[in-house]
Amino acid sequence: MTTAIETETLGKRYGRRWALTDCTLSIPGGRVVGLVGPNGAGKTTLLHLAVGLLQPSAGSISVLGGVPAAGPEQLARIGFLAQESPTYARLTVGQHLQMGQWLNPSWDTDFAAQRVAELGLDVGQRAGTLSGGQRAQLALTLAVAKRPELLVLDEPVAALDPLARREFLQTLMEVVAIHGVSVVLSSHLIADLERVCDYLVVLVAGRVALTGDVDELLACHHRLTGPRRDVSDLPGNQSVIEESHTEKQSTLLVRTTDPILDPAWTVTPVTLDDVVLAYMRQARDGGPRSTNHLAVAR
Amino acid sequence: MTRFAWLQSRTQTLTVAAILAALAIAAAITGVQLAHLYNIDVRHCQSSCDLALSQWLSRQTFLQHTLDILSRVAPALIGIFWGAPLLAREFETGTFRLAWTQSVSRSRWVLTKLGMGALATVVVAGALTLTITWWYRAIDLASSNQYSLFDQRDIAPIGYALFAFAVGALIGAVIRRTVPAMATTLGVYVFARIATTIWIRPNLMSPLRKFLALAGASPTSPVQLGVGMHNGGHLQLFAKGDGPEGSWTLTSHLVNSAGHQLSPAQISTFLHQYCPNVGPPPLATKPGQGVARVIGPDAGRACLEQVAKTFHLVVTYQPASRYWTFQWLETGIFAVLALTAAAGCYSWVTRRAS
Repeated sequence: MTTAIETETLGKRYGRRWALTDCTLSIPGGRVVGLVGPNGAGKTTLLHLAVGLLQPSAGSISVLGGVPAAGPEQLARIGFLAQESPTYARLTVGQHLQMGQWLNPSWDTDFAAQRVAELGLDVGQRAGTLSGGQRAQLALTLAVAKRPELLVLDEPVAALDPLARREFLQTLMEVVAIHGVSVVLSSHLIADLERVCDYLVVLVAGRVALTGDVDELLACHHRLTGPRRDVSDLPGNQSVIEESHTEKQSTLLVRTTDPILDPAWTVTPVTLDDVVLAYMRQARDGGPRSTNHLAVAR
Repeated sequence: MTRFAWLQSRTQTLTVAAILAALAIAAAITGVQLAHLYNIDVRHCQSSCDLALSQWLSRQTFLQHTLDILSRVAPALIGIFWGAPLLAREFETGTFRLAWTQSVSRSRWVLTKLGMGALATVVVAGALTLTITWWYRAIDLASSNQYSLFDQRDIAPIGYALFAFAVGALIGAVIRRTVPAMATTLGVYVFARIATTIWIRPNLMSPLRKFLALAGASPTSPVQLGVGMHNGGHLQLFAKGDGPEGSWTLTSHLVNSAGHQLSPAQISTFLHQYCPNVGPPPLATKPGQGVARVIGPDAGRACLEQVAKTFHLVVTYQPASRYWTFQWLETGIFAVLALTAAAGCYSWVTRRAS
């Protein structure tokens, strides 16, 4: 499996403020990768560095084995959809497709025309008069029709209503199925990612808090509920991500690949949402979070 | 990329071209008419030719006003409406992220946009100044010094327009917002024009000098000479003359027989000695009344005669024959400034902007 994005102690500074610090990660290719993180985690900065809109202030980044935006060839290999799907308000849909054809050597005219027809977009309509959902679809069409090896989408559905969001993601899945393109998309809505992503990278404050295959992550995390107890005497193969205690009861979120044998626990499956939020809190607070001040700190 | 840059700018460019074409046609028709009238009324006039000329000159038409205003503001308009939004709008609306992730390098993108804009600017400014210069040629010849319209005729406006466009593009790339970029462009352009007019243009070539005799000079003669005071201050000598026909007069001042410029103290001593009867009678007027005292005819005349015997007037000027040298120098200076701004814009977009 090729690597889509690989970074090494990557950092980006705006003036005196670091938007991304010491970020080392490896995002696999051939997958639909969700990049999740709270606002200000550095998701957009990371993606802009990946497509060459920004230059790193520290460290290095390689995308599909090349330097981002090193030249026309590298630019042609990556399709990018920026936040809020910018388009030229005064140019028509058809003129946008014309632009794609002029500016991209590998442009797929048939795909673009077919896609626009399927979406029911009028080629003579100005992009400025399109709805948010239509504009996002047009921008996605532009990014896909250049036939990239990697599609980078920055918060593509954040500004869309639920229906437009569902349609957009459906289009995306069709494209992935047809062209087999690698995808990296960022979002702070885990529900959206759950539907389309098979790999997850959680970024908190410029650092990787969690990374892995979605199915594997779901399989190895469990929610344990049982009588109140101290977490320090759990088996060594169970690591506590999050704990909360009431007077009589303890609830834990643990990570383990082994079966849970203690009959005192009631084991329930977790959602991706639970896992991601637990890791975000952990990364933010610098340790397992407890809602009980009596809990023993790890 | 060229085709796309054209697609982005063609509506605006074609609109301007259409306006320009309409203007040129109107100018061609009325220009021929104007020349015809000039031939009949002025050149072949039988009597009262001065009156005929002034009547001909006073034919102020709508087109004349339009061309006059355009000749002053067209370069600034190009800078504000073509230069400033060129990149600022891409940054402001976020479309630069769309453009920079197509399979075209950022340097090619910015060079194409700058190049096509500059080409359109030169064509438009060139056509406009050609129209204006041609239409006004007879009026200019009859009514004014060519240097007085130096920055509104011939090739200098092309340099101004190119500079305004390039500096607008640079400011737009740096500020990244259209309206503030437009305002800043106007400010920078106006400053550059004023600075050039005041500090640079007069010093481009060392001026010629000419001595003018003051004999017979009075406050109303071509070489003006007078004595008087402002606001109840010291008595002063006023002298002013012009260079030869069609030249650009820079300075004129009095010199003594040795050719040295006079100091205020020397003038004061001279006036005290030779013009004792000129000036206010003691306590006759209150100071600060703001009017130069009317000089008694005899005393004043004697005083001025003495001045004419003692001093000369030196005029420094640029001769009429240097007009085109100055035109090329001015155009060249602004073209170089434009190139510098364009290079700064290129380097900013390819290296700094992100």
